[in-house]
Amino acid sequence: MRYPPSAHKPEARGYMTQEETGKSAVQQNMRALMTFLTQYPPFNQMEASHTALLLERAVLTFYADGDIILSPDLGIVDHFYIVKQGHIRGERKSIKDRALINGTTISSADSIPNENTEPDRSPSATFEISPGECFPIAALIGERATRTVHRASGDTFCLKIPRDHFVNVFTESEIFRDFCLRGVSSLLDQVNRKIQSKAVETLGNQHSLDQAIAELAVRNPIVCTPDLPLQKAIGVMHNKNVGSIIITDDSRQPKGIFTLRDVRRVIAEGQYDFEAPISSVMTPDPMSLHSSASAFEAALLMAKHHFAHVCVVDDDNALTGVVSERDLFSLQRVDLVHLARSIANAPSIVTLLSIREDITKLIDTMIAYGAASQQLNHIITLLNDYTVVRVIELTVQSFGDPGIPFTWLVFGSEGRKEQTLVTDQDNGILFQAPPGMTDEDARSVLLPLAKEINTRLDECGFTWCKGNIMASNPDLCRSLKEWEEWYSRFIHTNTPENLLKSSIFLDMRPIWGDEKVATEMFKRVVGIIQKNTLFQKMMAACAMHHRPPLNMFKGFIYAKGGEKHTIDLKTQGLTPFVDAARILSLGQGIIESNTIDRIHALVKCGVMDNKDANAWIESYGLIQLLRMRNHQEQSRTGKELTNRISPAQLNQLDQRILREAFRQAKRLQHKLEVTYTL
Amino acid sequence: MNILGGRFFNLNWLKKDPKAKARANALPRPQAIDFTPLKETRFVVMDLETTGLNIHKDQVIAVGSVVIENNEIQLNQSFERTIYRTLNKVDDTVLIHGISPEEIASGEPATDVLAEFMKYSGECVFLAYHAPFDQGMLSRALKRDMGLPLKHVFIDVADIAAALFPGVNLGRSMQNAGLDDWVEHFGLNVSNRHNASADALATAEIMLILLREAEKQAIDTLAQLAEKVKGYKRLRVMKR
Repeated sequence: MRYPPSAHKPEARGYMTQEETGKSAVQQNMRALMTFLTQYPPFNQMEASHTALLLERAVLTFYADGDIILSPDLGIVDHFYIVKQGHIRGERKSIKDRALINGTTISSADSIPNENTEPDRSPSATFEISPGECFPIAALIGERATRTVHRASGDTFCLKIPRDHFVNVFTESEIFRDFCLRGVSSLLDQVNRKIQSKAVETLGNQHSLDQAIAELAVRNPIVCTPDLPLQKAIGVMHNKNVGSIIITDDSRQPKGIFTLRDVRRVIAEGQYDFEAPISSVMTPDPMSLHSSASAFEAALLMAKHHFAHVCVVDDDNALTGVVSERDLFSLQRVDLVHLARSIANAPSIVTLLSIREDITKLIDTMIAYGAASQQLNHIITLLNDYTVVRVIELTVQSFGDPGIPFTWLVFGSEGRKEQTLVTDQDNGILFQAPPGMTDEDARSVLLPLAKEINTRLDECGFTWCKGNIMASNPDLCRSLKEWEEWYSRFIHTNTPENLLKSSIFLDMRPIWGDEKVATEMFKRVVGIIQKNTLFQKMMAACAMHHRPPLNMFKGFIYAKGGEKHTIDLKTQGLTPFVDAARILSLGQGIIESNTIDRIHALVKCGVMDNKDANAWIESYGLIQLLRMRNHQEQSRTGKELTNRISPAQLNQLDQRILREAFRQAKRLQHKLEVTYTL
Repeated sequence: MNILGGRFFNLNWLKKDPKAKARANALPRPQAIDFTPLKETRFVVMDLETTGLNIHKDQVIAVGSVVIENNEIQLNQSFERTIYRTLNKVDDTVLIHGISPEEIASGEPATDVLAEFMKYSGECVFLAYHAPFDQGMLSRALKRDMGLPLKHVFIDVADIAAALFPGVNLGRSMQNAGLDDWVEHFGLNVSNRHNASADALATAEIMLILLREAEKQAIDTLAQLAEKVKGYKRLRVMKR
């Protein structure tokens, strides 16, 4: 298309004229910016011509991490900003009471100071402005300076529009004006409302499992003294129509429990004496929990011990209530107790298999009820442990007792109690050769048994380990001495391969057999590592290879290989936390293997600040939860379970949460760098 | 032979067109590499689309550019024009650029576009990624289509980046690194790459990062920046 030369009115330096500007406004770059803006409110509702008008006098500016864009002492603001890439952090002094910092996950992580800002920001509240968001609207309309320091959080590009032009668009576009005016009272509140409503939506009624048992427990449970005759006790239960009676002493301390199940047992055993004191047939020392414990803890305790009742006690250990399995069920709580019991008593592998199908359902329900990932990890680990133990028991039964004491060890995520639905086997055997038998002899007896156990576990959904880290591998079926020598070599010859393996073998836990032998051995191993700072340093350097997937604008860095534009939540998101926690805690001689337990232990020995630790635990949990939600979704739709997730398919809130969590991972890695001067 | 013929033809045509000559006379002065602060310098970041990579043979078919002033990309001063050319065949590069033969056929005459572009550029320093190519192309086009020499200074953004971030690992040597490598390194969101103005904008965004880095390294004037780049190039030669 030709333009008549008369349309070109030269200006002082020969810049473009109005007509040309009009023409350039529809150019590629402007189109790209328009497309960018129309993803976000209010631009997604504004007339395209108004958005174009806004962009007509926009410039694109860059701020390096930590640069201050606006601050109260810079005077009346004269530009309107839209974040194009990166983030802006708003730092405001003493508005602690803002709703934004109440409880929501993002803000509590947000309130942890970033290492790039001054360390002393205790009285300030912060918020983050993400791509597509605008600032400082209130100050612009009020023709004043900002009350907030706006600082680039990571490297950031902003579109910057002069105030008078902002006013033009403000006058022209009703939608833009509405947006600005509504935002004036409190932009923060608006953002917060969005977060909260989303949180309620996704988390469902969160308290169902976090609720204190005091709220669920039957108050004033039926109690009696230990000397009450059996017949009278059953009479009381019948009259009051209850399933249990608690036997207490003078100071209301629970001494025993007698339930309907016990009535059945007593009668079935046939040697009952109705006049005998209840204390002779009660279950002594009933399990009890403090009234502040959660429903989840109660469910877990019941599942662990296969009991259906838990006493609720106060600070003085005096009985205040009782909570039954039925109380948990009546609130549509999970089938956990029942499931654990069925697994532990499964008569055959086939039964185990069918029971384990229910685990997926259970986890589904729990996610719907808003369980935290830590709780989910706990439950999956618990049920998996039961399954493994049951498989070993069943196999030993059918194979016959080998006559060699052995301990079943689990490594990696199973060792950390951090299993999800996707799980493969990482296990080994620690045996003690009986007198007259060499280690080699013992091994040859145990290996076929181990192979059978591995095979059966595979049938139960614990897939065969690709790296052959399994008890049936002769290299992983060792005596105590062999294991100790192996670990010692492993630590002293820090080859790259060994360092990679450390993420598997240094997360170890015995789950069947003599656990003490294994624990004692592991304590000695940790002791060796604690003294070997070179090994720690090499592990730390190795851990730096897994960078959290955020670029300098807090955009996501996609994982290599596999599906395009996806993030690997496990290797990119979780591994930095897991590795850092492992290295730091081994450095302190901490023998816990669970990541969160390790972080707690690190706080106790003063390596970590409590606030930092909480932010890290929370972030770790959020990534883990996202991962599990992804697994559930995949298993529902019959897809293969992977750890890959496409950030583009997450809603804005989840994307933000994920970014914040990755930022925390970066901070934790930074701590590792500082600690080991990498 | 054909090329030579075309050249004579074009020059003759120029002499017959007084309007073109008048425009050519109005070429702006180049910005000198002196103590002008970077913040006050007008940078024109350009990207040319051409029919191929041969400076002596291929033709410019599109010009895209944006202006950096006051360390900000002045979006309203963007420039994008397609140039009318008669093409012998639809070759691969045209397909890569996504500029269709129809678009080229409906482009504006080269003289108009070039004159307009020079007027728009004004007293500036030109920036481009792998600038010698764009410099060569523009210089040849100016000479051929307008009979004028190009006196403006070009600085290669690739060199500035390498000079200011010498330790960066792009997974290949700095000289072999393409615009995409830096785009990826800095994690820029770039839409529609391999379009002249999108590439110019990407280059300009990188330049904003570089200008901020220069500020951090206390490089404040054009002369200092040029010196830094020169130092880097000298080092590069020595390493070879």
